[in-house]
Amino acid sequence: MSYLETIRKYVIENFLFGDDSQLEEDTSFLESGIIDSTGILELIEFIEGTYHMRIDDEELIPENLDSIRNVVEFLERKLSKEITTEESARQS
Amino acid sequence: MVESYRSKEHIKICTHCILPETFPGITFNESGVCNHCQREASLKTGGTERKAEYRRELDKLIDNVKGSAPAYDAIIAYSGGKDSSYTLMLLRKLYGLRIVAFTFDNHFLSPLAKKNIETVTTALHVDHINFMPQWPLMQSIFATAARKEVFSKAALLRASSICTSCISMVKSLVLKTAVEMDIPLVAFGWSPGQAPIQASIMKTNASMVRENQKILKKIFFDHIGTATQSYFIPDAYYELYEDRFPHNIHPLAFFDYNEDKISQELEEIGWNAPTDTDSNSTNCLLNAFANQRHLEQYGYHPYVLEIANMVRQGVMSREKGIRKIYTAQDNEMVAYAREKLGRFA
Repeated sequence: MSYLETIRKYVIENFLFGDDSQLEEDTSFLESGIIDSTGILELIEFIEGTYHMRIDDEELIPENLDSIRNVVEFLERKLSKEITTEESARQS
Repeated sequence: MVESYRSKEHIKICTHCILPETFPGITFNESGVCNHCQREASLKTGGTERKAEYRRELDKLIDNVKGSAPAYDAIIAYSGGKDSSYTLMLLRKLYGLRIVAFTFDNHFLSPLAKKNIETVTTALHVDHINFMPQWPLMQSIFATAARKEVFSKAALLRASSICTSCISMVKSLVLKTAVEMDIPLVAFGWSPGQAPIQASIMKTNASMVRENQKILKKIFFDHIGTATQSYFIPDAYYELYEDRFPHNIHPLAFFDYNEDKISQELEEIGWNAPTDTDSNSTNCLLNAFANQRHLEQYGYHPYVLEIANMVRQGVMSREKGIRKIYTAQDNEMVAYAREKLGRFA
């Protein structure tokens, strides 16, 4: 499942209880009230558990977490960076 | 199945935790286990090793900040209740931190909780700030929260509208005070079920705080007016004091948590469990009314998610969780708060 599908599914199941009528990729979770500030922490827990990664404190910003699109783009950046780092480590 | 707190009909609850069939979005598998328990099992988030990791991280953080700030190492949101008292005791006795305790007196602090606050802060040699807003403002806030759907459905999964209105102000004031006084740690006595372990040691991020505060201000200003403006972080602080945004810590997420043991240890420094509050609070006389309103409006207890989390984590027995959640609210306590809030509630 793609990052988009996974995150979208998680948000719909856990915060919208199956009703995705108000959820676009750019919908701000906080502003729309779909997810509150504690819910963002649960989202972080889900992301870290699903993708076996740690989100650093300085990455906990709305630009990385406050919409489906933001989360997906953050994952694409972070996880591709981690793959590149691992490959470089293996080659050296 | 348990007897419903609304009537004598039985309601179905998860066979593993205690979430009821009335909880939003809940589903059960063929064994009666809810989707929250199934998800937790698949993520494998908990564990002794993980808690030990967080404990080491706290030790390291405290080593880095202790003694470096001008006045205090930590400020704690202090209600006088069991969990915040225990957190205060841990940070003071185990780590020797310089702490200021901040109490938000919402006009419903139980007399026994006030006594506990004095006893504990004296026993631990901790400075104390008591912040009490004017009653007409608090009456307006609580009565509005009781009457209207002020907060999002996501927030209402975790706490009643009344509790959310109160804790929003507490969190904002404690953070604002930390920034103003340059205090590097903000501590909360969240129980293991109240917030995920990932949040138990977290650097507050100015832009995320700003976003949250923008939403809160809109809620408060739209419904109550701007009387609470000074409780929020001024816009100028985000740039002026960007380097002062503290770490939030809530150590009970990864310290051993046993309610009876905690109460015993607190009794050794003079704290006593209040007998004038409901079973889900050790400090607040508004809680029973807040719970009752939430039950009436939404059909589930506002503490059920927290208690279900604690049952799932093994820090509370399922039987105790059922007793805490599926016992009717004390009529006298509900009536007391309703009468005090007046005809608007």
